[in-house]
Amino acid sequence: MPDYDVVVIGAGPGGYVCAIRAAQLGLKTAIVDREWLGGVCLNVGCIPSKALLKNAELAHVLRERGEYFGFSVEGLKLDYGRAVERSREVADRLVKGVGFLMKKNNIEVHMGAAILRSPNSIAVTNSEGEGVELGAKNIVVATGASAASIPGLEIDGQRVLTYREAILQTQAPKSVLIVGSGAVGLEFATIWNGYGVEVTIVEMLPRIAPLEDEDVSKELAKEFRRRGIKIMVGTKVDNIEVLKTKVKATVVGDSGKEILEAEQALVATGFRPNTAGFGLEDLGVQLAESGMVEIDERMGTNVPGIWAIGDVTGKLQLAHVAMAMGIVCAENIAGVETIELNYEMMPRATYSSPQVASFGMTEAQAEQRGYEIRVGRFPFQASGKSLGMGETAGWIKLISDARYGEILGAHLIGPEVTELLPELTLAQGMELTFTEIARNVHAHPTLSEAIMEAAHDAEGQAIHI
Amino acid sequence: MSTEVIMPRLGESLVEGTVTKWLRHPDDHIEEFEPLVEINTDKVDTEVPSPATGTVLKLYVAEGETVRAGTLLAVIGEPGEEVPDAPPADREEGATQVAPPKTADQGTPKAGRDGLGFISPVVSRIAAEHNVDLSQVSGTGSGGRITKKDVLAYIEGGRSAAPWEEPGSGELFRPTEEFFGDKPGTVPEPTGLADTVLPLDAVRTQIAEHMVRSRRTSAHVTTLMEADLGRVLAHRKEHKQSFAREGANLTLTAYFVAAAVEALKEVPIVNSSWSEAGIVLHKAANVGVAVSLGEAGLIVPVVKNAEQLSLQAIAKAINDLAERARSHKLVPDEVQGGTFTITNHGVTGSLLATPIIHQPQCAILGIGALQKRAVVIEGLSPSGEPEDSLAIRPMVYLTLTFDHRIIDGGIGDHFLGIVVQRLQSWA
Ligand SMILES: Cc1cc2nc3c(=O)[nH]c(=O)nc-3n(C[C@H](O)[C@H](O)[C@H](O)COP(=O)(O)OP(=O)(O)OC[C@H]3O[C@@H](n4cnc5c(N)ncnc54)[C@H](O)[C@@H]3O)c2cc1C
Repeated sequence: MPDYDVVVIGAGPGGYVCAIRAAQLGLKTAIVDREWLGGVCLNVGCIPSKALLKNAELAHVLRERGEYFGFSVEGLKLDYGRAVERSREVADRLVKGVGFLMKKNNIEVHMGAAILRSPNSIAVTNSEGEGVELGAKNIVVATGASAASIPGLEIDGQRVLTYREAILQTQAPKSVLIVGSGAVGLEFATIWNGYGVEVTIVEMLPRIAPLEDEDVSKELAKEFRRRGIKIMVGTKVDNIEVLKTKVKATVVGDSGKEILEAEQALVATGFRPNTAGFGLEDLGVQLAESGMVEIDERMGTNVPGIWAIGDVTGKLQLAHVAMAMGIVCAENIAGVETIELNYEMMPRATYSSPQVASFGMTEAQAEQRGYEIRVGRFPFQASGKSLGMGETAGWIKLISDARYGEILGAHLIGPEVTELLPELTLAQGMELTFTEIARNVHAHPTLSEAIMEAAHDAEGQAIHI
Repeated sequence: MSTEVIMPRLGESLVEGTVTKWLRHPDDHIEEFEPLVEINTDKVDTEVPSPATGTVLKLYVAEGETVRAGTLLAVIGEPGEEVPDAPPADREEGATQVAPPKTADQGTPKAGRDGLGFISPVVSRIAAEHNVDLSQVSGTGSGGRITKKDVLAYIEGGRSAAPWEEPGSGELFRPTEEFFGDKPGTVPEPTGLADTVLPLDAVRTQIAEHMVRSRRTSAHVTTLMEADLGRVLAHRKEHKQSFAREGANLTLTAYFVAAAVEALKEVPIVNSSWSEAGIVLHKAANVGVAVSLGEAGLIVPVVKNAEQLSLQAIAKAINDLAERARSHKLVPDEVQGGTFTITNHGVTGSLLATPIIHQPQCAILGIGALQKRAVVIEGLSPSGEPEDSLAIRPMVYLTLTFDHRIIDGGIGDHFLGIVVQRLQSWA
């Protein structure tokens, strides 16, 4: 039985990064995955969706904005199949890259489903049914999460889809019903809307992007509506009936029951952690009520030698958080210096059009916690770069503590705003204030200038509004 | 039912104080025992806790106002409750003195002070507001950076081990005796456009009054000797750990206090004060030790009955007083009743200074910077011939500034000689 210092179960962004860091720290490391290297993120999540979103953006411009930019295309043909094919090429290329990184770092890859036999041994069964036993001083559970449905919605993969089928299917529907308006629902709405699909979003809570700052939800809803996306908030989907060529959904909102029809439905109501069926419970690993693996700040579970990172812990179901957790986990296993992650200040990104990016507290949360806050704002309407790009929707909102100037959060909506967070999160981590950001000269014209302007505004004097 | 917050009597002889900062404002919620207001007296800075849980309904005294003990400061209760709107009855007319409250908004303090590494703007603002000496705070951030969490923890709880020797400021000490006489007159007009006027806060005013008054009162004479601290340093090195196990941070100051106390025992007249009736010889050796509060001035907590204390007990007492001085938690009686004072001006690099006597005491011992110096050691060759050699020794200049009204030069020198002798022969 080969013996490892660390065996990582799950080769998603959490798992493969953890394995690399562990190997870098001199630990003998193996990684196991039942399906693919790169996990959800590279294969059916972050990466292919971003490729599709680029296509959708171009499609949107070609279809809708010729007049504004001054071109016309006769007989415009949009090949959605090619868009998906391109997204596969991108995903495959990155997955190959992960394979290369495993080799480079001498990490042994075992493809197959893992079952924990004891805190020190794992059985892996490959697709041919052959099994190997791996000995491990440490086991890192990085098994991710799967789409969660809601009662009444039967997922058949043809008419009623999860993100998995949606991202892989080579044809776009004519009309679609999206249940749930978190990042996944909003991104698919953007993709399909770009291709001219009739999109209806049904959200149970009173606003779309319900976890974001309220102003962001409002602005996004306004923009989505302007693009022709139908939004029904405060509306619950009771059931979805699958007919031959369409789905028929019964929804209940303020105005009572309503029947909606569409060619397909996407269920994007969240994720549940992959904790069942591979022996976690048998070893006594503690799960929270929500089913997530409970961990401490070192990423350790209650069972010594068993660790957990990424979506399976339900901290923030984002790839970069999984990766950061992976690094911290490996460092704790190796016993070298590491850091404690502050989940509240992790960047959050949604790649809809317009994009949404945020970290830290919303305005409402900061007030609830008793902060006297200072808010700085800047609209992209007043940004030269965004005018030039022809994308002026959105704004930036920065929040700080009025007393000591500590940065508490930021909420951005607009073109490419997901690229604008690092300056702010770095400043937050280093406990800089908006004074320093306002004084940091930004290249002109850039979108990032809007941050500088909003910081000036927080300090009392914006220059360009 | 509403609860009144009354200006407490902060010490035996303390009947008034200045409200420097309201920590809660009307409509704010406050828990019982949470600090409500910062009060500054000529002796100490302190926080007055809320006597009840509830909502702050009304504040009766503005920041900067000085009021007498017993004055109504605020009312805590349920929102919407009736509050008395009569102004506090027994505020003393004319006792109002305006001291500008310290606020964080007077520009961002300079970051990155010597030796502390990068100090973030947020940390710097918190430190300024709470008068924290950041050299006392240990950093847990990357590269040992002091984070917001670290300063807040430091402010909250034990301002951790405050090595007494470390910081200091040019001032020698802050008065600890009664509040003296008249208040200063008017603020001078700026003489040019570029000039600024730093308002005189209570501490500054009191230091000024005391210094001038002491100068006018005593006949200051300073005598200087030097001491070789080789044995003290060896002793400290050997015992630091065992003392630490007993909870005492063994600082050099403890040795100076111990040596001074022995000299006071041998030369009791130095442990005295001048009075109209005659020279009062004090039975107890209550040794004041100047503690820097950074920009907030200096304070001189007193090690009481030091003549009864071992080196370890002295070290502990100093640790405790210095720590609480820096966290503004001294009670007024702890800065009163000194009979002799030690000022360790060497911590800021000064080799030699002539401190001002802390009234109404007889003398003050000044300690210069510890410095390795080449000294001539007189000795004998193996054959018995006088043979001198050069040696590098840890040397310190000691000054005794005494009141020539009480003692004459010979006695002062005798006293200081004993201190030196004791330090040099430490075992
Ligand atoms: C459509 C979509 C778009 C997204 N876009 C973004 C984005 O833009 N940015 C972002 O930050 N996040 C995005 N996410 C979220 C991101 O994909 C996840 O947060 C991330 O993949 C979590 O990484 P992980 O390592 O925890 O788990 P996963 O990536 O889920 O990997 C878990 C791996 O474990 C394997 N596994 C599970 N059980 C076993 C077992 N018993 N034995 C062996 N192997 C097992 C699985 O096969 C899988 O490969 C998106 C998600 C979706 C669905």
